[in-house]
Amino acid sequence: MAEAASVNLSPRTEAGFRVLVVDDDPDMTGFLAHLLRKQGIVVDTAGDGDAALERVAAERPDLVLLDVMMPGPSGFDICKKLKSRHDTALMPIVLITALEDKDSRVKGIEAGADDFLSKPVNPSELLARVNTLRRLHETRRELETRRQSAEIQRKEAIRKAFSRYVSPRLADRIIQDIGIEGGPFKGNAQRINVVAVFADLRGLSSLTEGGEVGEVVEMLNEYFSILTDAAYQHDGTVFSMSGDSLLVGFNVPFLQSDAATRALRAAQDMVSRFAPVSARWERRFGVRTGVGVGICMGEAIIANVGSPHYMNYTVIGDPVGTAARLMQAANANEILVCGRVYEAVRDLLPAGTMAPRGDITLRGKAESVPVYAVRV
Amino acid sequence: MTESAYTVTVPKDLEDLIPMFMSNRKKELETLRSALAALDLEQLRQLGHRMKGVGNSYGFEKVSVLGKRIEDGARSGDRAALETCIAEYDEFLGRVSIVYG
Repeated sequence: MAEAASVNLSPRTEAGFRVLVVDDDPDMTGFLAHLLRKQGIVVDTAGDGDAALERVAAERPDLVLLDVMMPGPSGFDICKKLKSRHDTALMPIVLITALEDKDSRVKGIEAGADDFLSKPVNPSELLARVNTLRRLHETRRELETRRQSAEIQRKEAIRKAFSRYVSPRLADRIIQDIGIEGGPFKGNAQRINVVAVFADLRGLSSLTEGGEVGEVVEMLNEYFSILTDAAYQHDGTVFSMSGDSLLVGFNVPFLQSDAATRALRAAQDMVSRFAPVSARWERRFGVRTGVGVGICMGEAIIANVGSPHYMNYTVIGDPVGTAARLMQAANANEILVCGRVYEAVRDLLPAGTMAPRGDITLRGKAESVPVYAVRV
Repeated sequence: MTESAYTVTVPKDLEDLIPMFMSNRKKELETLRSALAALDLEQLRQLGHRMKGVGNSYGFEKVSVLGKRIEDGARSGDRAALETCIAEYDEFLGRVSIVYG
C-alpha cells in the first residue's frame, strides 16, 4: 500500500486546488484527507450532508468526495442538490460507495456523480481519480476564462463601433441588449416614429475661405464637440456629420416616450452652449457665427445602409428632409420645429417659449406646413 | 488464529493516524456490545457497514471482514453470529500488533 500511495503523480502543489471530504466516519475523513494533503491539495472535511452544503457554500471546493451512506441527507441527496444548482453544477463529485453495491452506482449516476470510489478505498485509485478530475476541472476553468475574455473583447469592439453613433451610456445599454432577439441594430430595417434634429453652423464660410486651415479644423471640432455632447446628454443618436451639419435622431434605437422634449432640450443646449464660443470667435476673428436648428417628427425607416465595405446606421424619410428644410430656414441661433413637435412639447414649455413663424413649402410637396420658432 | 493473523502492516505514512484509529475501534467495540444488548439491529448493521469500509482502507483486513459479517448478521437477525463476531473483534483488538512499512 505504501507503494500504491506514491503512484505516478507529481506531488507538486496545484495552487488553490481544494477538496471537500464528506463522511460520517472520522477515520475515513482523516484517511482521505491525509492522502490528499500529501499531494499538496487543500482539504476541508464535513461529517454529514448538511455540514457538507455549508462547507460548499463557504469554501467553494474544486471537488467533493462524498460518502453515500450517512445519517441525515444521503450522499445521493447532496449530490443531486449540488448538481441542480447553477453555481455548483460543474463542481466534480466523487461518490464513495461500498464495493459490492452496484445499485448505488446506478443511483449515483442518476444523481449526477462524476466518478465513484469503492470502500475500502485504494489510495492509488483515489489519487488517480482525483487527479483526473483535477485536470479536467482546470481545463474547464481555463476554457471558461478564455471564453469570458473573448466575450469581453467582442463587447469592447461592439462598443467602439456603436460609440460613433450614440452616447457611452446608450452604448452600454446596447451591449447589455446584445444577444436578446431583435435587439437594436440587429434586426432588419424598421419603420418607426423618429424625431430628427438637423443643426448647422452659420458664418463659418467667411473663415474657410481665408482662414488658417488648422484653425478652421480646430473650430469645427470645437463646434461639433458642443453639439454632439448636447445630443448625447439627452440620449440622442448621431446619424451623420458632414461639412458643418449634424443629424441627430431621438426615439432610436430605443424608444423614448419623451423623444420630442429630449430633442428640443438638446437643440436648446446646442444653441446656448455654442453662444460663448461664438462670442470668443467673434472677438478673435471678427466673424459672426451661430447655430441654426430644425426639428421634425414623423415616421422614418431606420436601417444599416451601405455596401459590404461601408455601412452606416441611417435614418431615411420625411422627417429628415423636413428637419433639413427647417434648419435652412432658421436664422442663426434659432430653432424651428414642425407642427407635430410643437403639439408634443407645447404644454411642457413655459408660455411664450414658442411662437408661430409662418408656413414653409417643402420641396416636392404641394402643401405648405406650419412652422414654430423656439426661443432659447 | 495464528500469530500472523494478528499482525497488521500499515503504510508508514498512515502512522500518525493509527492511535486515533485504534481508539475509535475500541469505542466501536463497546458500541457494538451495547447495541447487541439492546438488540438494535439497525445500529449493528450501520456499525458493521462502517467497519467494512474503514478497515481495509487502513490495511486492517480483519476489521473489514468482521464488519461484513456483522452487517450480514444484523440483516438476518442472527444474534449468535453477531455475538461470535463481537467476541472475535474483542480478541483481535486485544492481540493485534502493528508493523509500519
